[in-house]
Amino acid sequence: GGAMSFLRRFPPPAEGVRHQQPDTEAVLAGRSLGAGTLYIAESRLTWLENSGVGFSLDYPTISLHAVSRDLSAYPWEHLYVMVNARFEEETKEAPVGEGEEEEDDSDDDAEPIAEFRFVPSDKSALEAMFAAMCECQALHPDPDDEDSDNDYEGEEYDVEAHELEHGDIPSFYTYEEGLSHLTAEGQATLERLEGMLAQSVSSQYNMAGVRTDDSIREYEDGMEVDIAPVVAGQFEDAEVDH
Amino acid sequence: MEVSHSVKERTIAENSLVILLQGLRGRVTTVDLRDETTATGRVTNVDAFMNVRLAEVTFTDRQGAVSHLDELFVTGRNVRYVHIPDEVDIRATMEQQLQAIHRVRYFGGRDKGRKEFPRAKHK
Repeated sequence: GGAMSFLRRFPPPAEGVRHQQPDTEAVLAGRSLGAGTLYIAESRLTWLENSGVGFSLDYPTISLHAVSRDLSAYPWEHLYVMVNARFEEETKEAPVGEGEEEEDDSDDDAEPIAEFRFVPSDKSALEAMFAAMCECQALHPDPDDEDSDNDYEGEEYDVEAHELEHGDIPSFYTYEEGLSHLTAEGQATLERLEGMLAQSVSSQYNMAGVRTDDSIREYEDGMEVDIAPVVAGQFEDAEVDH
Repeated sequence: MEVSHSVKERTIAENSLVILLQGLRGRVTTVDLRDETTATGRVTNVDAFMNVRLAEVTFTDRQGAVSHLDELFVTGRNVRYVHIPDEVDIRATMEQQLQAIHRVRYFGGRDKGRKEFPRAKHK
């Protein structure tokens, strides 16, 4: 057979690499692609032969992955990856000549399947490779999920998020974090409010939000609040029901 | 009883039958996959997207050939059916899972007695 047509030359992933395993052989449908490095990254699974050519697999196309130590099934311990896609050496028009690529039914409507095996020279790395794949796979939930009710707003109070200040729901910002999230308008609003607070501190009868001669400014957003100035004893006559 | 650390996943779980599968953790179960293969093993984890992780797996492919896998992760999309063991009380399992979620929600996570609301120092 000729060179695997799906192999390309490209640089390894630069970020989100959860696990990297050098000296790993890649095998497709029983045929070795050579020795290289497996990169288990958050965005995709990439294998690059030492010469620099390789391929990537997108997690949504991966049906399952497993650690196989059963030497009677396959002579080397490896990471098994089943992909819902077709990877062929020959063009699609040619009939399937190699037995390992032949599917049971050979139906056109049957799902295409490609079986990859990644055989690391360091067998003890298989656990870490498996775990890294599980983590990355979980980052790519199925968008075609029939259950369209997955739009949960998460009303649940996330104790951990609020204590640790990260989590699914943004909670409290530190001063610096909060500042960096402000738009220009937000920044202007903040400055105005801080100005009002500064004014109110200097005069004990002023409340924040109450416009006095000192604090009148141009309000770009047109939001003006008219509040009657506070007069001592204003509410003395009010009937109070407690 | 382990519960996901993700708010979103807990919310999805308590609103779907995935919560039943999550209660199967530790039990030996058979999972039928979409492509007619089956996997029997001990459930290590099921997440809100029905991704299933099994250990000590007997895997049967479409031709009926059997092999053994130390660990297997099947994406939710490819799970057709999960066999619930006969001895499992379905209702009790779901209730236990819901209780575990509510414990996390109302009383904090692993650290018991942790205050639910931040202390006054934040104000």
